[in-house]
Amino acid sequence: MASRREFLQFGIAASALPITGATGLSSDLLHSGEPARLPLYKVVFDERFADSVRFGVEMKRLGVPTHAIQGDITDFWLHDLDPRWKKAPVAIAGLTAHGPLFCLERLSWDHRMRVVFSAEHRSLGDGRIEHAISGPDIMLRHAAELVAGGPNWAAHIAAVVTHCPPGRSQISRTTIITPLATATDDEQEPLMSWVIAPVDAVRRNLT
Amino acid sequence: MRIPPGLTAGDFGSAVTQFEQVVGREWVFTSDEDLNLYRDAYSPLFGEPEERVASGAVAPNSVEQVQQVVKIANTYKIPIYPISTGRNLGYGGAAPAYSGSVVLDLKRMNRILEVSERNASCLVEPGVSYFDLCKYIEDKNLKLWVDVPDPGWGSVIGNALDHGGGYTTALYRNHFDAHCGMEVVLANGEVIRTGMGALPGAGTWQQFKFGVGPWIDGIFSQSNFGIVTKMGFWLMPIPDAYLSGTVSVPRHSDLIRLVDILTYIENAGVSNGMPMIGMLGSGFPGLGGPRDKELGALLARPGGAPPEEIERLALQKGIPYWNCSLRFYGPAKAVAAQWEHTKEKFSAIPGATFQDGELLRLPLTPEQRQRVHKPEFGIPSLEMFSIGARSEINPNPTNGHMWFSPIIPRTGEAVFEAQRVLSQASRDLKLPFNISAIPTMYWLRAFVLIIAFPITRDIATNKRNRDAFNRLVQIAAEHGWGEYRTAPVFMDAVAGAYSYNSNALMRFHETIKDAVDPNGIISAGRYGIWPKHLRGNRA
Repeated sequence: MASRREFLQFGIAASALPITGATGLSSDLLHSGEPARLPLYKVVFDERFADSVRFGVEMKRLGVPTHAIQGDITDFWLHDLDPRWKKAPVAIAGLTAHGPLFCLERLSWDHRMRVVFSAEHRSLGDGRIEHAISGPDIMLRHAAELVAGGPNWAAHIAAVVTHCPPGRSQISRTTIITPLATATDDEQEPLMSWVIAPVDAVRRNLT
Repeated sequence: MRIPPGLTAGDFGSAVTQFEQVVGREWVFTSDEDLNLYRDAYSPLFGEPEERVASGAVAPNSVEQVQQVVKIANTYKIPIYPISTGRNLGYGGAAPAYSGSVVLDLKRMNRILEVSERNASCLVEPGVSYFDLCKYIEDKNLKLWVDVPDPGWGSVIGNALDHGGGYTTALYRNHFDAHCGMEVVLANGEVIRTGMGALPGAGTWQQFKFGVGPWIDGIFSQSNFGIVTKMGFWLMPIPDAYLSGTVSVPRHSDLIRLVDILTYIENAGVSNGMPMIGMLGSGFPGLGGPRDKELGALLARPGGAPPEEIERLALQKGIPYWNCSLRFYGPAKAVAAQWEHTKEKFSAIPGATFQDGELLRLPLTPEQRQRVHKPEFGIPSLEMFSIGARSEINPNPTNGHMWFSPIIPRTGEAVFEAQRVLSQASRDLKLPFNISAIPTMYWLRAFVLIIAFPITRDIATNKRNRDAFNRLVQIAAEHGWGEYRTAPVFMDAVAGAYSYNSNALMRFHETIKDAVDPNGIISAGRYGIWPKHLRGNRA
């Protein structure tokens, strides 16, 4: 049974999308022996949600440029992302509610980009949160560390997101359950962590 | 490779090769990965075998390429489904009405051909979005507004052709009414221009709609008689000021006089902005009245509560039953005088109270832009996608919606009747939500009810909701109410309700269809109009 959210993740379901961006990698990463990582142009977090803020704080600590929203991605897309994507598609990531991801994914399609990693973080209503994750194997291996991270899952997801590899990847799925960060998060709607990246464009972008 | 219905793999392969020769290989899409982008994220059939999906997609970038694609489609009798940007969420998105069609994606035709500040008009191609047009105007510092829908990421042409509406003044917020002149590629590949566009050398294509003879623009909206490749629109000169005000009346029955006075106020041109009516507890920002637990519980009662019971409690608590916000665009002195006149008129209702809104000088400051409802100021936005976040007024965010949107008479009595009938229907159909049937006023002269049915993750629930939706279409039709717009899965039912004189109107549509598109290649099934060879096999 497919859902709209599964539809949003179809790019992952396609199982082996080619992701470009390796040319933007630093030579350190390429030659250090550590698997290459997709450079992230910006990371979006939503100030309305404490977990998303934790994600943003961790991203800043990791040195990734961030952009705060309060639900609405219009200004970010219109004044920052769209002009950037019109020059050349670049990868972005985020931990947001479903709405911003829904918009950004559809807008990215016009630039031959796809969601290449996503995870739904849904409260189970009993003080725990379920993380349903789809993405490259290497990211899922990092995601396994969520369990050890306990309630501070949002910071761990930030680290996972920064491990998105460039190039073609095998996509897998996994589900992890961790404690909620705070009891009040039980009432929160599910959040989505995600990476949108250029796919290896046989065709030029649509704009 | 997916194959369109009625074609062999060989013929479709040959057609694809010819499409590629016209638009270039990179603009013909046949892989599942690419075609999945054309699925309707809000489809009520999502994930079911009956979901309407594309067999291919072709993206031309010029009128000439559209003409050639149409000729190829005619040769092979390939059903094609033109879209502009495909963001008509809730009404079908980019997915074809007839499953297996090849989507004719006009997104690359995104040229803004002209914007005239002197004439306050524009001429655009189908791929131009509201964001594109507004940015162009802002970059050139033109003193013009575009009336935008909410959200504003869709096509200016696509929205108008589907009878979309906006939020500024009555002259502009009916987007089809605000158009002036079209260019259309017919099914035989011929190009026509309507109105003054048919007169070689005329400089009035975007000034005078009619030209001479039959005015045919209407037959290209919500239809499948041609492919609109250019369209002119009238734009709104930026007014000097904006003023809003709210009228509140205490009793349920006050709605009748409220609507009558409102209708006068609008038809007389005293208020030119889009009014909104809210019922207590309706959740409309600023129009639902103060939140009250006891009242909220009464309103949430399954199947609804009787108006007299709600009124009794509301009167005890001093909460007005109805609120109506009005908007005025124009010179600051004029809008202030119009609001004063409006208050005088509504004062005829015993117990009416008024709340003055802020007078905003235009253009807005950056700070003001952040806090206003942007579409009322011609600013496109995606903000509405953030309201999916769980909140007091939206405790259970869903996965999309389908709109049930009947037109009803513009009277208080009609609203009461619609509420009575639809509340009863929601009980009979065991809908998990109450239909509040609050009228909206995108257009002058009639009310439209906009009722969102949720799209869920559950196929069984979606099926129940579809069945309920179809039953509501029937119930509405029995009362003389018809939908103004709908998703493809309901188009046959909705169009079928317009059945006067043994479906004479639909038979006329079919006569036109057979004449202008004898092979039935364009948008089969759109708004219930099927080509002859599919008429006995309607979806």
